[in-house]
This record gives sequence, structure tokens and C-alpha cells, in this order.
Amino acid sequence: MTTAQTLRSRAIILHALRKWFWENGYLEVNTPVRVRSPAMEPHLEAVKSQGKYLHTSPEFMMKKILSLGLGRIYQITPCFRNEEIGQHHSLEFTMLEWYRVGAGTEELMTDCTALFGAAAQALNIKRPNFKKVPSHHLLDPTLKPEDWFFKWVDEVEPTLTEPTFVTEYPRWQAALARISGDYADRFEVYYKGIEIGNAFHEELNPSELEARWEKNNEIRHQSGRPPHEIDKSFLRAISKMPRCSGIAIGIDRLVMALTNTSSIAETQIQEG
Amino acid sequence: MFYQTSQFRNGLKVEIDGYPYVMIYFQFVKPGKGTAFTRTKLKNMLTGNVLERTYRTGETLQAADVEEQNMSYLYEDGQFYHFMNNETYDQVQIDGSVLGDDAKYLTENLEVDVLFYKSRPVTIALPNFVEDVIEFCEPGVKGNTATGATKPATLACGATVSVPLFINQGERIRVDTRTNEYASRVKS
Repeated sequence: MTTAQTLRSRAIILHALRKWFWENGYLEVNTPVRVRSPAMEPHLEAVKSQGKYLHTSPEFMMKKILSLGLGRIYQITPCFRNEEIGQHHSLEFTMLEWYRVGAGTEELMTDCTALFGAAAQALNIKRPNFKKVPSHHLLDPTLKPEDWFFKWVDEVEPTLTEPTFVTEYPRWQAALARISGDYADRFEVYYKGIEIGNAFHEELNPSELEARWEKNNEIRHQSGRPPHEIDKSFLRAISKMPRCSGIAIGIDRLVMALTNTSSIAETQIQEG
Repeated sequence: MFYQTSQFRNGLKVEIDGYPYVMIYFQFVKPGKGTAFTRTKLKNMLTGNVLERTYRTGETLQAADVEEQNMSYLYEDGQFYHFMNNETYDQVQIDGSVLGDDAKYLTENLEVDVLFYKSRPVTIALPNFVEDVIEFCEPGVKGNTATGATKPATLACGATVSVPLFINQGERIRVDTRTNEYASRVKS
């Protein structure tokens, strides 16, 4: 059941987030929800909309803004991911995404701790303390992708009950992140046992990203799914983007974690 | 018949390793960078043991050959509990050790669902609520309205449940058999 109390908490959290971003020099931006290319990753399915797609995240368009030289930016926007419905999944959800220019993933973890702390404080609850664990300390990085994810879901994720930043992922999970040594320089945020966010130290080489994109489309092709159109204007923008790190947080899941709500549906008003 | 992960529901009855299981929990999980899975909890319908299993999208579970019949409880003979189908008058017996704690709520003519696995009666499902008279409890305390305070009460069927302080001996109450908790007073 969605209650007035949860929606009031949601409003308090959103206000605390916007206040924190303003005070820390982040500008709020808006990007189109309907786009030509909805994603680059192989396991994301987009919702079609009149010859275009509803975005699965605002990443590409925000990076175009970064290439204009706006500095630190953030956005809070509805996103859509097809075929994802469950206790922690909703086809339509709200995403918070921010980019910190000139920074790596360490600084983003500092941002997360301060930001979630500000939201917790606004609700008069204890500020979460995050610990940091490399993914390869939790699971063998040489497993095949399919087996890696099965074990992750079956064995590892249920143990991540404390607020945790999981860092240093296998290279094949780099997506749009830089590769540093044997691992992708990215992290995921676990809070109350749920994955609530994903961060990258952003890769700035367009040809590297294009090669990964083509590889991902090959994975899609093998499982009979249409390719994600390669967005050339996005790749051009990447070459002008400053060094930065970016992170996406599922607002509905953050609200779940901060209000002890057990399903994502309870953080949103439902049509019924 | 097989169930796809997209058909997983609470209450689904499936067969695993030669046992019938009922799905009591399912959760769609999709790691940000990975494919979709379904986490489940499955309760063995014979032993009550709970199994936690994760399934990949595309995996299936076989439907269990189970059937439920509404039957009335008749009597117990020391080892077996006897039930009768009120339409066909067929009678079946189930070993008391299988029924465990459920047996304590059985009173004559109580209607229960008897579960048949591969045509054999194997266990019962009690109604979610049963009504019974309190055979013994300490007297009520006048004016004590403290919320949450309870006392033990023994029902005519033999079960013991915690009831609020204002409930008296001889009163009829409703009990939730899933939680063994007092639900409400029944006006007679």
C-alpha cells in the first residue's frame, strides 16, 4: 500500500538531495526522455515510443551536456526499462544521475556518503556508514559471465546487508567505465540489501566505447534481440568530455531503503 | 506441464526431486549489468522444509501432481487422523506425525483441504481461521486496557493461544492458524 507517510518521506528526500546538490555546486539539467539510442548494454530492453525509445537512463544526453563544459551536473528523471517488473523493479522508475568533473570513483563515494547522510538526516534517521569491498573479494572474477551473475544473485547479494560500495568489477562488466589494470573502475551501491546505484570513472575514448558497443550488439544478436543503435553524436561528444565520474541512483529504491518499505510499488502512486 | 519463471506465483505447486513443493516467495532480480533471475522459496508440502532456489530466465519447474479435496475431520485413533469427503463419503486417513502442530486445531466436522499427491492423501491445509471456545484462562482484569498485554488461554480443542486480557473463560474466539494468534472475539 502506498501511504501518505511514504510519499511525504519521498518529498523530504528529494528536497534534501536537491539542496545538497545546489550547495555543492551541481546544476540541475533536463534531457529528452524520448531518444534514438536507448542504451549500450546488452541486457537492457527499452520501451518503444513513436519511432524512438524511452530512455533507460539519461547517460548519453547528460554526457553531451558535459561536453559543452557545464561542469558538475545532476538530473532527476523518469526512466523506463522493459521486462523489469518485481518487488525491486518497476517498468517506470525515477533515476538520479550526477557527474563530478575532474574526479574519480573515490570522490563519488564521498559524495554518496554525504548525500545519503543528508537525506537520512532530513528524515531524522541514522546516517548510513558505507564499507568498501572489491567484487573479486566476494566472487571469482574468472567465472563465465552467466555463472558469475548466477552466483552473484544466488550467493553474494543476499550477504550484502550492510551499506556497501562494491568496487573493481571484472573487465567484461566495464560498460562505459574505464579499465584500470585487471578491473573496471566502477562501483555499485548496496543499501539495505538492495543494489541502488551504479558508478563509473568514465571512459573518454570514443573508439574504445564503439568497440564495446559493437561487442554488446553481437551478444544481443546471438540471443535474437535487435541491436542498440550506435549513437555517433554521443561518441563525438565523448571526445570533448572532461575527465569525470558519474553515478546513477534509483530514487524509488533509495526511498525504500530510507523508509524501510518492502516493495518499490509502495514508493510510487499506483493507477490501481 | 512446466512453469516458466514468468509464471512463478505464490501458491504454485511444483515437483522437485520427487517431492511436491508450494512456492511461498518469489522475487524477480536483475543485476544492473546482467540477465534476469527469479529467487524463490519453496515449501516441501510433505515435510514443511523450506528450500531457497534461484532460477535463470528460461528454466522451468514441473507442475506437481497434486489435488486438494475439501473434507471433514472425523476422529483420530491414536496414530491416524480420519477425514471424509462430504459428497462422495470417501474416507481417508493421515498419520498424525505428518500433521504436526496442525492436528491441535482439529475438532469434529472441521472442514479442511486434504492434499493428495499422486493420488495418495499426504497432508492437510487448515482454514486460515478457526473458532473455538476457551476452556481455561485466568480471569479478565477490569480496566486494564494496556495494548499488547496478553495471557495464555487453552481452547476446547486443546490448543493454547495468547489472548488479550479482557477475554474471559467460556468465550468463543477466532484464531489465525497460520500464526497461532488470537484474531477476534466471536459474538454468540
